[in-house]
Parts: sequence; C-alpha cells; structure tokens
Amino acid sequence: MFGYRRAIRRLNKLKLYFFNLQAAPNRGVGAIKIPKMSTMFADTILIVFISVCTALLAEGITWVLVYRTDKYKRLKAEVEKQSKKLEKKKETITESAGRQQKKKIERQEEKLKNNNRDLSMVRMKSMFAIGFCFTALMGMFNSIFDGRVVAKLPFVPLSYIQGLSHRNLLGEDYTDCSFIFLYILCTMSIRQNIQKMLGLAPSRAATKQAGGFLGPPPQAAKFS
Amino acid sequence: MKSSSKRKEEVNLANGGVKQSTWSKALSSNAVWEEKDEFLDVIYWFRQIIAVILGVIWGIVPLKGFLGIAIFCIINAGLLYIYFSSFQQVDEEEYGGTWELTKEGFMTSFALFLVVWIIFYTALHYD
Repeated sequence: MFGYRRAIRRLNKLKLYFFNLQAAPNRGVGAIKIPKMSTMFADTILIVFISVCTALLAEGITWVLVYRTDKYKRLKAEVEKQSKKLEKKKETITESAGRQQKKKIERQEEKLKNNNRDLSMVRMKSMFAIGFCFTALMGMFNSIFDGRVVAKLPFVPLSYIQGLSHRNLLGEDYTDCSFIFLYILCTMSIRQNIQKMLGLAPSRAATKQAGGFLGPPPQAAKFS
Repeated sequence: MKSSSKRKEEVNLANGGVKQSTWSKALSSNAVWEEKDEFLDVIYWFRQIIAVILGVIWGIVPLKGFLGIAIFCIINAGLLYIYFSSFQQVDEEEYGGTWELTKEGFMTSFALFLVVWIIFYTALHYD
C-alpha cells in the first residue's frame, strides 16, 4: 500500500513537470499542493528571461549572417551618409528652388531607395533563419504554457486584445494573462532596447527614408 | 590641472565652447546639441527610465485599470515635454516638431512600462 502511494506521488510529480498541471487542492492521496502564486510569478519571470534570450539569439543570428559581412557594412554606411545628406538638402531647399535642384534631389532619393532595397535583401537571409527558428521555438513554448495563467494583468484589456491576452485560458477573468501576450509585450520592449544598447539599430534618417520597408509603428492599444 | 582622460573628453570648439559627454550634457540645462540623433537618444533613454520607475510604483501601490495607463501617458509625455522645451530649450522645429519629440521611443517605453507593471503587480498583489 505504501509503495502504491509512493508511486502515485512520483507519477504526480512527473505529470506536473512534463504536462504542467496545476494541482487542485484536496485531490486526495498523492496530490501535490504547490502555491499557485509562486508558480505564476515564476512563469512571469521565466517568460521575461525567454524574451531576453530570444532577442539576443535573434541579434546573434543576424550578426553572424548579416552584420559582420563587408557588403552589409558598406551598404549601411552608404545609406546613412546619403540619408543625412538628403535630409540636409531637403531642409535647405526653398519653394523657389530651380528645377535642376529638385531633379538632383529626386535622383538622390532614387539612389537611396535602391540602396535601402539592397540592404533589406541582405537582411532577408537572417529574417528567414530567425523566422524558422522562432516558429519552432514558439510552437514549443505555446505547448508548454498552453492553458496556463502566467501573470495577472492590473487592467482589463479591450475586447479585441482579449483574444490575445486570454488565449487558450479557461474562465471569464480577463485579467488572466496568457503566455503569448506577455511574450509579445516583453519582445516589444526588450528587443529594441537591446538593439540600441548594442549599437545595432538602424539610424533614424535611414529608417525614415526606408519608409515602406519598415512601416509606421503600430497603433497604441487601448485598454479599459 | 585636468587629467588626460578628462582632456580627451573635452574638445575646444571654434567659438571657445567645450564639448561634454552626452549624459553630462543631458543633465545640464541649455546644452548645445550638435548631433540631432544624440539628443533624440537622450529622449529615448529618459523615456525608458521613466517607464521602469512608473511601472514599479504603479505595481507597488497598486494603480489599476485605464487610469494607470492614462496617468502614465500624461506623465511620460509631460515630463519629457518640460525637459526639452523648458530645461534644454531646444528648437522643436529642428527635430520635426513637438510630435516627433513626443513619439520618440514612446511605444517601446509603453511596452516596457506594461511589463514592469505586470511583474510587480503579479508579485505583490495577486491574491
């Protein structure tokens, strides 16, 4: 009888480890009671840590495939130089500027657009590699954290955000936070800061001139 | 007598002024910003610092709901506006207008604020 109970306890521990079941109170013999709070907070910190690691991994892959190549360095320097030159010229140009000056600016803009396109093509390699890795990683993390409340939101998100923040969670409490929502927030905040800290973010002039490639920033989400 | 490392930081400009390091310029009023990007970087990083501080405070208090988000946006935008218009007294038109300065790093700081707020709220107040 004691061996049976011991086996049940071990089985529960294994279940909890591999399938991440939350132990319900009063389940009877063999139930493992883990404080819900500490598990949730551990998940919160783990997701932040995963986000930092994936951001570093993405930058690492991009550095190996793109940043350290001569072609990229040359193109980037060219784009930044041209963007700054073009911006200065646009600031000094007046309405009465001659047709020749305007044509010159248009030619420079075209040249810059071509260079930006080439730069994007060079980055495409790393984007595919990152996309492939991250699809696999996200699949794994989604299955690990599936159905788990990883944090409590101090606000109730708007209905069209709830599809993301309450994804695959049971119940009607929309302050429960799912893995994917917290992960997206962490990535949005951490990745750009890491890029800036490491000096890998593109210059503002280049970003502005690139326009269509990078697009405008997303609209701020409204929360109730 | 100045040390050699401090001498390296300081370069005499044509008008007799002295170039300081970025952060010492950021903390002194009416600093001269030769590079626009340098000032925009200062704005960006100040926004991130404000986001972390407010996220911690909001999580500890706790401040909840849309009110917390609205107050964050007002404080974030307001403090930086006072910084660049009154403290640094920069010409906003040089940087594309007040809106360009206001939105510099705003989305990233908003996401960072939410993350820090959620972490502290979950850790301290969830029952």
